[in-house]
Amino acid sequence: MSSDVVISCKGLGKAYQLYVHRNDQLKQILFGFWRRFHRQHWVLRDVNLEIHRGERVGIIGRNGAGKTTLLQLICGITRPTHGSIETVGRIAPILALGAGFDPDLTGRENAMIGGAILGLRRAQVQARLEAIADFAEIGDFFDQPLKTYSSGMASRLAFAICVHADAEIFIVDEALSVGDAAFAIKCDAFFREFASHGTIIVVSHDLTTLQTICSRVVWIEDGEVRAFGKPSDVINAYRGNLDTLVA
Amino acid sequence: MYVLTPLERAWHYRELIRAVVRRELASRFRGSILGWLWAILGPLVALGVYTFTFSHAVGIPHSAESIGISGYVLSIFAGLTVFNLFGELAYRAPGLLHEHSQVIKKSIFPSETLAWTATLRSSVYASISFALVLVFQLIINHKVPPTALLLPIVVIPFLLFLLGITWFLMALGSFTRDVVHVMISIVPMLMFATPIFYSIQDVPHSMQIYFHLNILGNYVEMTRDLLLFGRLPDLLVYLGTAVVSLFIFGFSYRFFMQYKAVFVDVI
Repeated sequence: MSSDVVISCKGLGKAYQLYVHRNDQLKQILFGFWRRFHRQHWVLRDVNLEIHRGERVGIIGRNGAGKTTLLQLICGITRPTHGSIETVGRIAPILALGAGFDPDLTGRENAMIGGAILGLRRAQVQARLEAIADFAEIGDFFDQPLKTYSSGMASRLAFAICVHADAEIFIVDEALSVGDAAFAIKCDAFFREFASHGTIIVVSHDLTTLQTICSRVVWIEDGEVRAFGKPSDVINAYRGNLDTLVA
Repeated sequence: MYVLTPLERAWHYRELIRAVVRRELASRFRGSILGWLWAILGPLVALGVYTFTFSHAVGIPHSAESIGISGYVLSIFAGLTVFNLFGELAYRAPGLLHEHSQVIKKSIFPSETLAWTATLRSSVYASISFALVLVFQLIINHKVPPTALLLPIVVIPFLLFLLGITWFLMALGSFTRDVVHVMISIVPMLMFATPIFYSIQDVPHSMQIYFHLNILGNYVEMTRDLLLFGRLPDLLVYLGTAVVSLFIFGFSYRFFMQYKAVFVDVI
């Protein structure tokens, strides 16, 4: 792997095992050597990607195309069935903003845990708490339980935690609509600054935004890479394909 | 390597484990008026009930007459504290991954740390009970056996044993919900196979060897010996128990890690 390649997928494939009965999973583990208790459903097939440091890569595709699975593989949450994937550097994923938040805890306490999940030391998180609260623009709510937050506030907090995690790879899943226009401008500024040293991967259905912020775009269709290249080319091809489906 | 890898990983995630344990402890009594007092009141009520039962309702067994009612009550209480630590985790572990499925699926959360947080959380409450045992001994006998200082040499392998059990049950429980029901029938059975309301000395000599196969029973006996009776545990029993515990710890960790990436797809 050359020094500036941060994510490299080779022949990447992921199959989910579909079980008719819940307990077939256990049977598979105990007796899988002799018999197969499931059907395989391929979500991703033969994906080959090389992403370099400083790239802003957009991922597009219809629902169920395999975008989220690809992100899960990049984050190491799930293992590939086929092929290999290598990543370099700390990853800050916002797969679903605030999935790990505890509604009974305050924003501050949730930020401590969120930071720890991302691999930060306690002292590091503490030093950044004020910056996180500032970035998220939640003011006095920072010391209120999360259940009192609006969904926008919770998302902004999750985003702010990831921003302050010193990540080298930033992964955003459908999060561009977080917050109002003012917050969007702030995020945009952050992405621009971050791209000078880090790598960003964005999954979104907002094609216009992707076209302006991304340096390259991947189009995934039925688990396979249909196109990978210049945003305008890929997005136009994708739009053309959507039109044929509607027509 | 077998035992060091999981310890090294836990050290790596110590900040996360600490943050989550803190959260679990803080949230348990949040919203209740007495708050943390409950952690002390609960065990106190239990002690009161045992004392009443064995002094008024039923007598204590012959073999326990030498230590008196207070000694017998404290020995049951200490035994139950050790056992409940196991029981609580055995009930909770199979559902742990389901409980945290959101964060496991959508974030880079290291699910193996859940065993640490669950074990540490339960241990904090157990240590309150142990502290109460020591306080009551001071009140009743005006002294605490010096062997109580050696408690860590029993507690540490016991915690590793509990972690191992938790990892193993977490892994099994993620594949089938039946594990919870199996535990609901096994745990009460185990309680009677464990010397809590009796001592292993009460068991006929020829059968004691089988009772020593029950790791949990050994921990109950060793804890009592150190904490209440000022006796050192039998070296052979101690070593055997510790070695088996370390084995369970190491094996279960590897078992869990082997299937770790699969859990995401099944829970």
